[in-house]
Amino acid sequence: MLTIIKIRQIAVPGLLAFILAFIIAVLPQPVSSAELDDDDDDPPQDLILRGDGKCTACHDENSDNPILAIGKTKHGTTADHRTPTCTSCHGDGGSHEDSPDKALMPQRTFGKKSVNSIEDRNSACLACHQGGKRMHWPGSTHANRDVACTSCHTIHTDQDKVRNRNTQPEVCFNCHKEMRQLINRPYRHPIREGKVICSDCHNPHGSAGPSKMVRDSINDTCYTCHMEKRGPFVYNHPPVQENCAICHNPHGTTAPNLLRTRSPFLCQQCHEPNTHQGSSGTLTGAYARNTLARGCANCHTQVHGSNMPENIHNESVFQR
Amino acid sequence: MFTNTLNRKKFPRAIVFFTCFVTAVPAYSSGADADPLKELSKPRSVVNIGAGQLFNDNARFGQYTGLRNEGPYGIFNVDIAKRYDDTGTWFKLLGRNLGLQNRDVRFEHSKQGKWGYVIDYSQTPRYEPFTVNTAVTGIGTTDPHIPDTRTPGNPAQLSTERQSIGFSFNQFLPGNLEFNLHFRNEEKDGSRIFGRGNRLGEPRLSGFDGRPSPRAVGGYEFIPEPINSTIRIFGASLDYVGKDLQLSGGYYGTMYNNKNALLTPTGGSTVGGIFSPSQYAPIALAPDNESHQGFLSGGYSFAPTTRGTFKVAYTRATQTDSFSPGLLTAPGIGANLGGRIDTVLAQTGLTARPLQKLSINTNFRFEDRDDKTPVRFYNPMATFHDLNGNTWNGLNNPRSFRTITSKFEANYTLPHNFRLIGGIDYEHRDRTGTATNTSHRFRTDELFYRAELRRSLSDTITGTISYIHSDRFGSSFLTNTTASGASFFNLIAPSNLADRSRDKVRFLANWDPIDSLSIQVSIDESIDDYGQRPGSDLGLRKGSARNYSLDATYIFSERLQATAWFSRNETHIDQASRNAITDNGIREIWGSNLHNIGTSVGMEVTAKPTDKLETGANFMFADYTDKFNQKVSLEPQVNIVPNISTQYSSLRLFARYDIRKNLGVRLDYILDHFKTNEWTWTGWRYTDGTTLTQNNNQMVNFAFLSVLYSWQ
Repeated sequence: MLTIIKIRQIAVPGLLAFILAFIIAVLPQPVSSAELDDDDDDPPQDLILRGDGKCTACHDENSDNPILAIGKTKHGTTADHRTPTCTSCHGDGGSHEDSPDKALMPQRTFGKKSVNSIEDRNSACLACHQGGKRMHWPGSTHANRDVACTSCHTIHTDQDKVRNRNTQPEVCFNCHKEMRQLINRPYRHPIREGKVICSDCHNPHGSAGPSKMVRDSINDTCYTCHMEKRGPFVYNHPPVQENCAICHNPHGTTAPNLLRTRSPFLCQQCHEPNTHQGSSGTLTGAYARNTLARGCANCHTQVHGSNMPENIHNESVFQR
Repeated sequence: MFTNTLNRKKFPRAIVFFTCFVTAVPAYSSGADADPLKELSKPRSVVNIGAGQLFNDNARFGQYTGLRNEGPYGIFNVDIAKRYDDTGTWFKLLGRNLGLQNRDVRFEHSKQGKWGYVIDYSQTPRYEPFTVNTAVTGIGTTDPHIPDTRTPGNPAQLSTERQSIGFSFNQFLPGNLEFNLHFRNEEKDGSRIFGRGNRLGEPRLSGFDGRPSPRAVGGYEFIPEPINSTIRIFGASLDYVGKDLQLSGGYYGTMYNNKNALLTPTGGSTVGGIFSPSQYAPIALAPDNESHQGFLSGGYSFAPTTRGTFKVAYTRATQTDSFSPGLLTAPGIGANLGGRIDTVLAQTGLTARPLQKLSINTNFRFEDRDDKTPVRFYNPMATFHDLNGNTWNGLNNPRSFRTITSKFEANYTLPHNFRLIGGIDYEHRDRTGTATNTSHRFRTDELFYRAELRRSLSDTITGTISYIHSDRFGSSFLTNTTASGASFFNLIAPSNLADRSRDKVRFLANWDPIDSLSIQVSIDESIDDYGQRPGSDLGLRKGSARNYSLDATYIFSERLQATAWFSRNETHIDQASRNAITDNGIREIWGSNLHNIGTSVGMEVTAKPTDKLETGANFMFADYTDKFNQKVSLEPQVNIVPNISTQYSSLRLFARYDIRKNLGVRLDYILDHFKTNEWTWTGWRYTDGTTLTQNNNQMVNFAFLSVLYSWQ
């Protein structure tokens, strides 16, 4: 049974969205100049972009390469003087237009059978989309591995899969196939639910951080959601300060808490076998405390660091 | 909107009634029929509303959605986009899962190329997949009460929830400038699994001076950690985008505020005297902290094929949360840690093509994380022996890291669309710190060599084969000693510091034998060989990882296509440690071969049998197995760690029927199955009697019917 608070939590955002939807829906829309144009068809009329008449004369929605949906996108917002024309991206289509069977392609194409180099294809996008979040594209792993912008992005649609939180991982999994396995493991981030997606942590266009992290380091990226782990603490656990990924695999694991391996095995990859630290894994007896439940963290609860200044029961053992 | 307060028995009828009602409403004509061009080229808005029934209680399927309890749930999604063509002004409203607990709302209003702002809201629940059966009271507070003896409890569900609100704004300015501003506030509330514990009992071995021996049984108490904290992230930047030069400079700030500074449990077991669990209180919770960064990044095109990029940043992170009053602190340590970490980042890269067939790429990155937290004498009692008979120095332990990475890559074009790539990467890390109970070295270096052959432009087959070799080495390990200077163990080279040799091969191929068929093969394998401390063979020894994937897409027709995939992942770690002194006085070296094997298959089919009907099916099955393979000779009968096997499968079906152009009905069905023999909490009972359980075989059916209404 939902409590009143929960009902309010559900109802308020929903109501807000509905009201906004209604307001937007009833706002009057001025008639565009395109709609006022008469059916004067000589020379070919521009339908969406400036000078697109000679393209859209053939490429309507019934052609093999329909293009009109670009009008639904920001590329189709002609009031913005920066928006491209067909030839901005595809180059001059003169030979293509004149070719009787269209065997000659436009100067630049982006499909699977394109003969243009990846660098050339990407230059069409980078001519405008340079700087900002794409500042570090040159030299990035994707740029160096011949990833075209159109490998991930679909331009002639208002539903670019890679920009949709529900479908973005599918696009990334086209190449990063091992991740497809990891996100379904028992311990995982809510990637399937679209609450954490690849681009929340990685900037696929390159960054100044390792592994294309959106922040300058792996830890700084993790802190955007897990800031309580930053410290610094009175007692720091050195690997925590150095790199979260020493112990965790954020893409999904079979060990609790996204740990790379279960306790005690993970801890024993660093810790000296002083006394109980070296115990083998067991589900029975006194040493089961190192394997079952939270494992070593049954006692060493503050494994990310302890800010307890009291001097009892807490010297380098993270128990308080 | 339906909620699960509805009568469950009446619900299916409610769905039918709702659907009939909506579909019977006359369609609003937007005029799209009269203008096909507008229909094809103007933004379209969609509202999706309906209801569903979850037929089974579960813990895993609804872990992050709230779809956990059998009953009805509301389906409500909106995707509204409106553009004023004459001004380029956009209104966009995206609402996702508005009827569920993991809802998102994003509102955008912008005048393209001029200005824009975005307001968004996100709610993310996380339910602990294990049910807690406990007599601990005060869950979610900072002063829970723990029974002092084993006490039967009642089921409790721990969960946390994040709710964030964000705002961002951008304004284009004259001179190719753009101003950006962003702010996000995230509240996190709830409780999660936590606890305290220690080993107890009478000493069984000589030399421990009354302290519990390593093999003594322990006292462990369940203490739920209360979560009530706020994360704030904010910043502003001024960007310049010119033809050749781009710059972005600004500020990035973060703040963490924890409303629960201290956990002060009452009660708890006193068995064990000064070593009893109840002595471990209060417990410090995560302290408030913040960071402030100034940065400048940029790129410059020296020539059409030569471009440089850089970023410089200075960050100051502080942690000055006051120690709670009443704590017994040593003299002179002050009211707070005085934590401060200054980080300098400098990164630069250059790509160039000195020859028509040759391009090069270099990158250099320097990061200096300087922990300037003052070192103080926190623990005057550190010189007394601890449970293990060790003594310590009583000081806090700030750690500083300096990392330098540099990369060089050359790419040469060969005939027949082949390219040869060679690269050398170097990573150097300096760390401060001391060697106490774990080994330490001040410096590690790692060199990577990479060779790759690639064919990226071809009608039928493209692919890459690459080989990477890396060597990690470093300065000598320090000798581990206790504070008194006594020798400690020096047997384990920590995983991030150990010498390591790694070989990796990778093969990726895309093959399009015919226009309608596309096949992708991916294989990679890596082998690690770790170095140990001199005179020891403990710690990590070897590791390996293998990934195989096969994907195929077949387009039967414009109306029918299918995709199938298979993936297998195997990782293996060979490591060793040494048992504590047993009754026969022998410290036994034992090893484990940790295997993790994952196998997944999936298939997706989408079909459009008629102009009005669209259907799809998506199936996925995954099997994960962990094998622990311990080699223990002294007490093999008690040192068996069973394999853990988990299967997850999911079937999703949908059918959408367009009643009219702007009105459709969609039926979705999800079958989700989670099965495991995980023993993490099996057989574990806290000293206070708390146990954690889960249903090891969770089958969930979720069906929902919704209406889609669209307009322009």
